Amino acid sequence: MSAFLLLLLAPLFTGSLKWLKARLQNRQGPDPLYDYKNLLKLWRKVWIRPQGSSPLFLLAPVVGLLSTGLAAVFLPLLPGISFAGDFLVLIYLLNLGRFLQVLAALDTGSAFGGQGSYRESLVSVLAEPGSVLALGAVGLASGSLSLAAFSPLSPQNALVYTLVLVALTLALLAEGARMPVDDPTTHLELTMIHEAQLLDHSGPLLALYELSAGMKILVYIGLIALLLPFGGLSFPAALLLAWLALGYLETYGVKLRYLRLPDLMSYNTLSGILAVLGVVLRFRI
Amino acid sequence: MNPLIETALIFLGMQSLLALLRPPATGFLPLSLGGSGLLLLLAGLGAWLAGARGTPLDAAAGFYMALLGALYLGVGPYLREYLSHHEPSRARLEAFLLPLFAAAMVGVLLAPPGYAFLFLWEGMALLGYLLMALEGPDGLAGSRAFFLASRLSGAGLFLALILLAHKGLRVGGLEHLVWAGLVLGFGTKAALFPLHAWLPKAHPVAMSPLSALLSGGMVKLGLYGLYRAQDWAGPPPEWVGWLLVALGLAGAVYALARGLAEEDYKGVLAYSSVENLNLLLAALGAYFLLKSPFFLLAFFFQQAAHALFKGLLFLGSGALPVRELSRLGGLHRLLPRTAAWSFLGALAAAGLPPLAGFLFEWYLYQGFLAAPRGAGASSLLVLGVGVVALVGALAAVSYVRLFGLAFLGQPRSTQAMTAREMGGFGQLGLGVLAGLLLGLSLFPTALLSPLKPPLYPVLPLFLALMGLGGGLVYWVRRKPQRVYDPWDCGFHSPDLQGSALTPQMQPHALGYSEQLLRLFPFLELKAHLSREEMLAPPKVRLEVSDWLEVMETRLTRGYTALAHQVQRLQSGSLHLYLLLQFLTLLLVLGVVWR
Repeated sequence: MSAFLLLLLAPLFTGSLKWLKARLQNRQGPDPLYDYKNLLKLWRKVWIRPQGSSPLFLLAPVVGLLSTGLAAVFLPLLPGISFAGDFLVLIYLLNLGRFLQVLAALDTGSAFGGQGSYRESLVSVLAEPGSVLALGAVGLASGSLSLAAFSPLSPQNALVYTLVLVALTLALLAEGARMPVDDPTTHLELTMIHEAQLLDHSGPLLALYELSAGMKILVYIGLIALLLPFGGLSFPAALLLAWLALGYLETYGVKLRYLRLPDLMSYNTLSGILAVLGVVLRFRI
Repeated sequence: MNPLIETALIFLGMQSLLALLRPPATGFLPLSLGGSGLLLLLAGLGAWLAGARGTPLDAAAGFYMALLGALYLGVGPYLREYLSHHEPSRARLEAFLLPLFAAAMVGVLLAPPGYAFLFLWEGMALLGYLLMALEGPDGLAGSRAFFLASRLSGAGLFLALILLAHKGLRVGGLEHLVWAGLVLGFGTKAALFPLHAWLPKAHPVAMSPLSALLSGGMVKLGLYGLYRAQDWAGPPPEWVGWLLVALGLAGAVYALARGLAEEDYKGVLAYSSVENLNLLLAALGAYFLLKSPFFLLAFFFQQAAHALFKGLLFLGSGALPVRELSRLGGLHRLLPRTAAWSFLGALAAAGLPPLAGFLFEWYLYQGFLAAPRGAGASSLLVLGVGVVALVGALAAVSYVRLFGLAFLGQPRSTQAMTAREMGGFGQLGLGVLAGLLLGLSLFPTALLSPLKPPLYPVLPLFLALMGLGGGLVYWVRRKPQRVYDPWDCGFHSPDLQGSALTPQMQPHALGYSEQLLRLFPFLELKAHLSREEMLAPPKVRLEVSDWLEVMETRLTRGYTALAHQVQRLQSGSLHLYLLLQFLTLLLVLGVVWR
């Protein structure tokens, strides 16, 4: 259920984010619904198969969308499937999509694809331990390893949850290829991480990639929403917060140098480790 | 004994004899090795699923026997085709030794602790060494490393098993010595960090089917030994668990980082074996400490999965024209089937759902998350979650690099344009392993039912991915499309055919992992710049060294120096020898005197 919700919301989120950024930068900006139209346009177009590419070239965007969609099924925003350890399946399904995307980037033998591929690999290695540790800490603090049973923020777990929120926010920026990690608006191939992998994908394949990238951000926002104490309003609140924060961050912030990424992401891993230790050793404020 | 196992052993013996004929009868290999594999699989699986208790074939031995059987079933047909490319004199020796090696591995499982076990254990190591030595001078370093490691392993086991055999010696504190010997003996064979150094040297030089047997089968016997040692020597002292967990987790990260610096296709696979084995040892150590069923599930499941996917990947590597990643590329065009099998193996090895590797990590995470809270040091085990996540992410990168550089992109050398696909028997062998791997991934309960495993919805996930994915692929394929050159920044000129990209513009094997390697302090990365002429573009060469290798060279140098000192005793002087004998006599008398 939540998969469909995210599928429908993803273009609205990314499209209106472009609008918000444009307004903050004193530009007219596109229609907030622009991404729906763009996806429809892309879906109708002819697509280009690069010379000598393998079946993976087509498989990667398809699996990318499906794995993100299936990961969203485990997100208990609306009633869905839930069992102990489902957050690990969610994280690894996102990994499955990325695995194929990174492989398909190597498929054409283009220099930019290769660059994007190893940069994304670095980002994934930096981001993964932190997010798994953070979610594990929440699981331990709530006494259940299933996402549906994660307890929201309360005075008892405030310290641990703050650390978890830091880790998840950084993971959101890294996995969603947003500003300090990657610049989604760049047109210079040399600085790209996410876009460099999609350079040769066009038409419907690009549409699938864009949709799954948008959904991936929403999945992370959904994870953050599970921790907020606003009941049914948690997800809309998280969505609004993330929308505003990303808009401001990408207007007033700058992209971090690629080689400085380990410094930024070390905060992610560190807060993950501290969160787990906080639960196990019972840290209190 | 079970008649199935007897028949299987007779098959293997017959094959050894037939190989001595002229010309060597390698045509029977699918029947003899493959057939014995099927029999062993059935016999072993029967014992494992029934939870058999008697000797010699109890449930644990049955599990490993099934694992070996599955491997033989795949390797048998493959070997027939592989050996037909060898010259007859060599093929004869290989077809003679391989079944004996296979039989020795089965024998290890059936032997009681004691001299029979040691004999078979050493026999297995010796046969493995001989098979590796057939590679000639190229494989010298690898086969020597293997031989030395089996000496070390043998030394530890001799100590432990002799102490065990003399039960009267079992006085306080001696069990620590027994367990030290067992960890040394079995740990060396199971590539426990830092005793793993032999594996990445030995496995790449062996021929592909032998690498599959070594990496998939033989090293698992080290794990079998450590598990079985609980029956022989009683419950392990606590330090064994801590040692295995600490070294195992450290070794897994180390092996993956080192594997990312490896340029040899089979070398990367060998380091991935080290990683898997160390993670398995960590799971076993954590089981010793916490007795959590998740670790036991992880331990058994991943051994079966690793045997299958590593067997598949190693057999697939047999079709590659060269082994250096920096000279491969674009092989999916010439080797479509090998690429497909290897892709399946890589997906499983990278630990991605819904395939087998993920379930292992899923169990491991839950095991570590279930560590007791507020119970002193063992509550810190929960940090193992972070290490497993790091290992998972690194393994995925390692397999992307391996598969992407070898099978995708453009060929980086002329050799990569002349690969030949394996024929029918080769594909049959690969297909058997791939089928078993897929079966194990989708129906894990078929193997794990004696342990009553919790599961995530594997089959629905697989069906959803295949169904929806198939539908979407079909839909997109029917859309209008055209073939064009990849994007080259507009450098394409009208008089130039094709894209302006050259194969050298693709990422290099070390360039791909350079930034990742800089994260690990134990690896040192050096870039050498050189120019052929004043105005020629500079060439960059990356070199990786790690402190373990540096330590190894220092150790070797120290040992050689010591050996030179000891040589003085062998001066040929009769007086010196007589003095030594006299002193030894005095020592023995002094020890025995009461």
